[in-house]
Amino acid sequence: MNCKKAGVLISACVDGELSLSEERDFLLHLSECSECRGEYEDAKKTKMIIREKIIQFKAPETLMISIMQLTSFNTKEHEESLLYE
Amino acid sequence: MDKPDPTRQAKTRTIKESLSREERQKQLEFQREAVVHLNALYNYSLHLTMNPSDAEDLVQETYLKAYRFFNSFERGTNCKAWLFKILKNNYINRFRKNSKEPGKVDYDLIKDFYHSIKDTRNDTSETDSDYFHSLLHEEVYQALHSLPEEFREVIQLCDIEGFTYEEIANMVESPIGTVRSRLYRGRKLLRAQLEEYAKKYGFNNDNDNDQ
Ligand SMILES: [Zn+2]
Repeated sequence: MNCKKAGVLISACVDGELSLSEERDFLLHLSECSECRGEYEDAKKTKMIIREKIIQFKAPETLMISIMQLTSFNTKEHEESLLYE
Repeated sequence: MDKPDPTRQAKTRTIKESLSREERQKQLEFQREAVVHLNALYNYSLHLTMNPSDAEDLVQETYLKAYRFFNSFERGTNCKAWLFKILKNNYINRFRKNSKEPGKVDYDLIKDFYHSIKDTRNDTSETDSDYFHSLLHEEVYQALHSLPEEFREVIQLCDIEGFTYEEIANMVESPIGTVRSRLYRGRKLLRAQLEEYAKKYGFNNDNDNDQ
């Protein structure tokens, strides 16, 4: 495997989405190529940074309540609310 | 005063009894399987609409539809993925098909969201010299949103929500190979953008301790 081929696989490898044979060839290349190893580490960091830095907000309580109500209506009321939609 | 009101109790009982056993079972299962993903759905919705009130409407609609069609949810598969797909379809029907513009993109509000959270710049155990860790929440958010939607979407679904390629492919109705190459290309763009921010950050903050 050359660097160009390996480069395309980096992203999927970070996600654990390579096929077994792809992964074997890819890891073999990494063991021989420090440049691609660096790229791979950077790709892992980029994924981590998205996970860490994109803030997940809590749903507003009013929304939470109305969703909960959805599942505690009696059947008739529920049907009505669907029709209303 | 704390005495239970007998009429009220009776009323509650009638309502409860009017539910069929299956319906109650369905409700419990729905809460366990679907309602637990409320926060994730809300955030996805917020990312799509960029507007909190549209985001809430979309989530409401999604849960109504999901509850109605809960029987068609294939048990044992990823319920979160199923809900995300419903939400995405709703979003398309609502805003795209009718070529109706979503509510005004509220950048200020998003900014406020981000400002309301104290940035923890030194909260990781990674090496200090790493430029990634100097990035602010807001910058990463902006970098993500600077990407074309088809790239942003897959990165979000993969990195933030943790869906598999197969689940994403199903959600965005494209082959797995397409998902894979969009992630590859999107991440390249994203990294370039992040490096840009990091450079600017380093340049503008000479006085910060460089630990
Ligand atoms: Zn190489």
